Amino acid sequence: MVIVIAVLLVVAAVAIYTFLPTAPTTTPTTPTTPQLNKICIVYDIGGRGDLSFNDMAYLGGDRAARDFNLVLTELQSRSESDYLPNLRTLSRSGECVIIVGVGFLLTDAIAQVADEYPNQLFAIIDGYVDKPNVLSVLFKEHEGSAVVGALAAMIAGYYNKTTVGVVLGMEIPVLYKFEAGYYWGIRYGQEIFKEKTGREINVKILFTYTGAFNDPARGKTATEAMLGEGAIVVYNVAGATGLGIFEAVAEAGAREGRTMGPPFGIGVDADQDYIKPGFIIASMMKRVDVGVYTATKKALNYLIHKNETKFGGILELGIAEGGIAMSRVEDLETFLELGIQAGTIKPQDKETILNAVTSMRNSIPSWIWEEAYKLQETLKTNKSLEVMGIKFSDIEAMIPFTADTIANLRSSLGVG
Amino acid sequence: MGNTGDTGSDEYLVLMKNIVKIYPDGTIALRGVDFTLRRGEIHGLLGENGAGKTTLMKILAGILKPTSGTIYVVGKKVVFSAAADALKLGIGMVHQNLSLIPSFTVYENIVLGLPRKQLLNARENINKLMSLTGLRVPLDERVEVLPFGVKQKVEILKMLFRNVDVLILDEPTTNLTLTETRELFNMINELKKMGKSVVFITHKLREVMEVADRITVLRKGRVVGEVPRAEANLNLLAQLMVGRNMISATSRETTTAGEELLIVRDLWVLSDLGTWAVRGVSLTVRSGEILGIAGVEGNGQKELVEGLTGLRRVEKGEVIFRGRRINNLPPSELYKLGIAHIPEDRTLMGLILDFTVSENSILSIQRSTSFRGFLNTLVWGRVAEHALSLITKFNITAPSLSSPVKYLSGGNQQRLVVAREISKEPQLIIAAQPTRGLDISATEHIRSLLLDFRKRGKAVLLVSSDLEEILQLSDRVAVMYEGRFVGIKNVSELTEDKLGLMLGGVSD
Amino acid sequence: MRRKVLIEVLIKTGNVVAAMTVGLIIGGLIMQAYGYDALHAYYSLLRHAIGNPLTDPYPLTSTLSLATPLIFTGLAFAVSVRSGLFNIGVENAVYLGALGVVLASGFLKADTPLVLVIGSLMGLSLSILFALVAASLKVFRGVHEVITTIMLNWVAYWLVEYVRVNVFPDLRDPSKTIPVPPSARIPLLVAGTELSVSIIIAIIASLTTYFVLWYTVFGYELRATGINLIAAKYAGIKTSRFMIYSFLLSAVLGGLAGVCEVAGRPPHYSITTGISNLVGLGFDGIAVSLIGLNHPIAVIFASILIGALNSGVRGMQIEARVPFELVRLIQGVIVVSLAMPGVLSTFRKYLSIRRGRMEVVS
Repeated sequence: MVIVIAVLLVVAAVAIYTFLPTAPTTTPTTPTTPQLNKICIVYDIGGRGDLSFNDMAYLGGDRAARDFNLVLTELQSRSESDYLPNLRTLSRSGECVIIVGVGFLLTDAIAQVADEYPNQLFAIIDGYVDKPNVLSVLFKEHEGSAVVGALAAMIAGYYNKTTVGVVLGMEIPVLYKFEAGYYWGIRYGQEIFKEKTGREINVKILFTYTGAFNDPARGKTATEAMLGEGAIVVYNVAGATGLGIFEAVAEAGAREGRTMGPPFGIGVDADQDYIKPGFIIASMMKRVDVGVYTATKKALNYLIHKNETKFGGILELGIAEGGIAMSRVEDLETFLELGIQAGTIKPQDKETILNAVTSMRNSIPSWIWEEAYKLQETLKTNKSLEVMGIKFSDIEAMIPFTADTIANLRSSLGVG
Repeated sequence: MGNTGDTGSDEYLVLMKNIVKIYPDGTIALRGVDFTLRRGEIHGLLGENGAGKTTLMKILAGILKPTSGTIYVVGKKVVFSAAADALKLGIGMVHQNLSLIPSFTVYENIVLGLPRKQLLNARENINKLMSLTGLRVPLDERVEVLPFGVKQKVEILKMLFRNVDVLILDEPTTNLTLTETRELFNMINELKKMGKSVVFITHKLREVMEVADRITVLRKGRVVGEVPRAEANLNLLAQLMVGRNMISATSRETTTAGEELLIVRDLWVLSDLGTWAVRGVSLTVRSGEILGIAGVEGNGQKELVEGLTGLRRVEKGEVIFRGRRINNLPPSELYKLGIAHIPEDRTLMGLILDFTVSENSILSIQRSTSFRGFLNTLVWGRVAEHALSLITKFNITAPSLSSPVKYLSGGNQQRLVVAREISKEPQLIIAAQPTRGLDISATEHIRSLLLDFRKRGKAVLLVSSDLEEILQLSDRVAVMYEGRFVGIKNVSELTEDKLGLMLGGVSD
Repeated sequence: MRRKVLIEVLIKTGNVVAAMTVGLIIGGLIMQAYGYDALHAYYSLLRHAIGNPLTDPYPLTSTLSLATPLIFTGLAFAVSVRSGLFNIGVENAVYLGALGVVLASGFLKADTPLVLVIGSLMGLSLSILFALVAASLKVFRGVHEVITTIMLNWVAYWLVEYVRVNVFPDLRDPSKTIPVPPSARIPLLVAGTELSVSIIIAIIASLTTYFVLWYTVFGYELRATGINLIAAKYAGIKTSRFMIYSFLLSAVLGGLAGVCEVAGRPPHYSITTGISNLVGLGFDGIAVSLIGLNHPIAVIFASILIGALNSGVRGMQIEARVPFELVRLIQGVIVVSLAMPGVLSTFRKYLSIRRGRMEVVS
């Protein structure tokens, strides 16, 4: 009996599905002709709630949707196999002003779909696709790295320590510009420190390529080795491997009975200050939200307002464009709100985290913070700052780095 | 003994009146049984397979519900809905296959399920109980490492710790060594001194004579005698157990027995428990004869059959078939040599219930070239022909060749097994309990098939606990008791008295 | 007789339909409770799972392409169930099959179809090797296959991750392994979609499995072993040998899923970070097998059903704007409902065997 009813139901459903020209009446919002009114975001498998790229992309998309009167459509991916069909489905709908792929994992898929749908506009965050209809949103990580490098040097000086480090993922050219900026920033920070305190310091710089982006255990081992050599600040340029850095510094601090650094880690990509509150001095943030917002604006200009004639190419966001920034307490608040919405952070923890981070920041003399943020301001306009005979613009000129050029730079900045 | 009607009397600790048990499948296990038990009495419950001993005691222990009849305990009418109810009134049963948790320690097994309060001094109390009864077991040993006899003690101790007054032991000596049996009897007598009552279920005449104060004999669901020990003797008990008028003159054509097909010398086989189940059996089966092996189940018949058919390791001894030593050959080899096997359990071994009639018709001959095509494919057309020929030749009723055999009646399932085995054209069929649980027509049909097979000059080794079947079919009869043959006799030399004694383990 | 078979197929299909209806209703109630339009959501699910294949085949090809690996893994699991095993190791077979192709791409360093041939052989050998470990532990030491295969899954996982990170990473994009060279890729069946020739291989595998199980002596003995070990021994079948065969067969089928995924799915043609393009395919095979009542042909349809769900959830997100997490929840409810008849019959069989044994004992 149940079976008969079920069969009838299915037959009825199929009949309705086949003969109804449009969606059922309960769904008046479904448009019959495609309307170009959507910002479409395809997340990578990290998905929403990652407190990193995906959540930041959402922030940017949400802001753009409100500012430009568009509808935000989000599409999450179950597995890597979903990227291509997700992008294809959105392209075929013809409703997206722009389709944003969040993260370099979507590079291949976007490259392919961009060819198939030449009239559809795409943006890829943190990846590079050379097509006229794809905007590649890249970040000037060397700028932010310089700022956190300077901060690291000044903190080392303040605590009378002489060593700082950086733990990296796999040795691929993309990471060289993090290195370059960081080393330059450290040397520049020494100059500031000398200027402010009259004390000359010469910081020893350690770097380790762990060979992996998702192996926290290796990040921890590498960091412990650096701490053993007296390092006081370690910069994370290793993705998830970097979680091991934070663990190592927090454990080292706890061993000495401290609830906050030293030693400190430095976060990357997102505002990671919340991960081990009190032990992550700051983060070098890539403002993906700014990337999504800017890409949408460019798409509208090209497509609707027609006041731009070219869309594709590289959109490089640095400090001046608001795409790179050293984290502030306010940024952390925004993030924690997102985390609470996604359920990854408990509401009652928010105050605890904020208090821990604030008191950590207060334990460092305010002039150090001021100088670091001042350097960030300066780099917006003035790239001719110079230390050890190397101007910041020289560093920029060396991009893209090769194994040889970075080796040269290391030796001229006295690394290793 | 004239007092049974007086329910208010507490002469009897337990009084069961007119107990009837009909199982859901229609089997009538008990046909109105009365049973009494006095305080401090050891009561032997004697009978062969299917007499209803275990069923009756499971009802008393609250494990089964009677179809009708009443139970009084200390003069009060009681209705049990679970074993726990009976246990509350002090009635506990130790089953033939024990119900202990192997990976738990002895202590844990004994206290398992007891309320928290009783756990407080449990260890102390168990120790007291052990010294009181002389039942010594290692409390902190895991049960799985203990020999069977000790496990049984644990189970008994478990019951005593729950303060039972009535202890029911179901065939307790089956897996025990001689010394262990002796210890058990001593223990039972100790319990008696303590005022406990014991029901001792058995088919072993000597044992029941030795230990029981009173003996109730059951046959086919009825009480056929209730004898105080003083009045009992082996012959009487054997007669009561087996019954009269059983050896009927069956019209069986005589054939002359031919060559010795199967010779077994001093066969030793282990049981699943690792004890000796077959202890030095020797036999010969000639072509043109049926050798019947009678005996109450659990005396090693199953292991004997499995040892002969390659399903269980032969530890010692020799099996020779047509002059060739076949010890421990795999079943597939034995089939090729001309041995067929009708296993004792058709639903578990003889058939695959979810397979179709066609599929089952080739079970064990699936590799035969007559069904095989190119690249080891099965040619279903030829299989169907084979199945169809079995169905028509052997009168099997089946919905269709492609219906699973689980939809066939028990009789037709067994017909299919027998048909298949006969169709292999073997020299010897080893048939274990070939008609168990079948209706009369199926039983007769299968028996006539076996007789027919014999007539064609082939041999049958028939293992059955159904005496009627043994006597109807066999030319010679062996009785198996505790892993040995109590004697092999021509069927004409047998009387029911003799047979009863042999079943109970008494040879002349 | 033919009519009976037809009726049985109809009844079983009816069971699936009934189960799905129940799942859809529960899912719909959940969506309504959260304030989303369930009818619209299901409508868009259908639109993106099937659409109108005459005017626009894309949704259907997407469904079929997502069904392809599930056909393989579903078959692999069905074979193991048919032989009485609960082989979770299909999951590691998928990883290792894929690994073989990547290794071949890395070692040969040549753009030739030979990479696919050698890679498949390497991948299948690897998955067979792993299966042999579980099989020998089962047969010779009596270790339950669920335990061993779950552990082996992790061994395989980290082995593949090791290769991805340290041996053959794509230096252009270190989140992936090097890609399979273009001429070693399994060609697309329909250009501009993800549907590749893999699905034909999968369907051939199904038909072959069906044939082997029901039309050969080997299949007969394998199934006998699976249903009733005691009867199989009685029938002279070397049951432990057949358990090993079953492990090997599952390994090959699971391995093929991995090969076809890595050599036949655009755009990556590689193993991605955390093996995320392969993880779970083996486990989904369990669901597929249960929905298809462990029948090789029914597994095809069960896979397409799951493929349709996986493809259609896109529509629920885009058109009905149901959030991903809820979409996944609904999907789970539907899959669980679908698998229910299979779960019940599998367990009923298991229980009846146990009960049978107990009755014999008492």
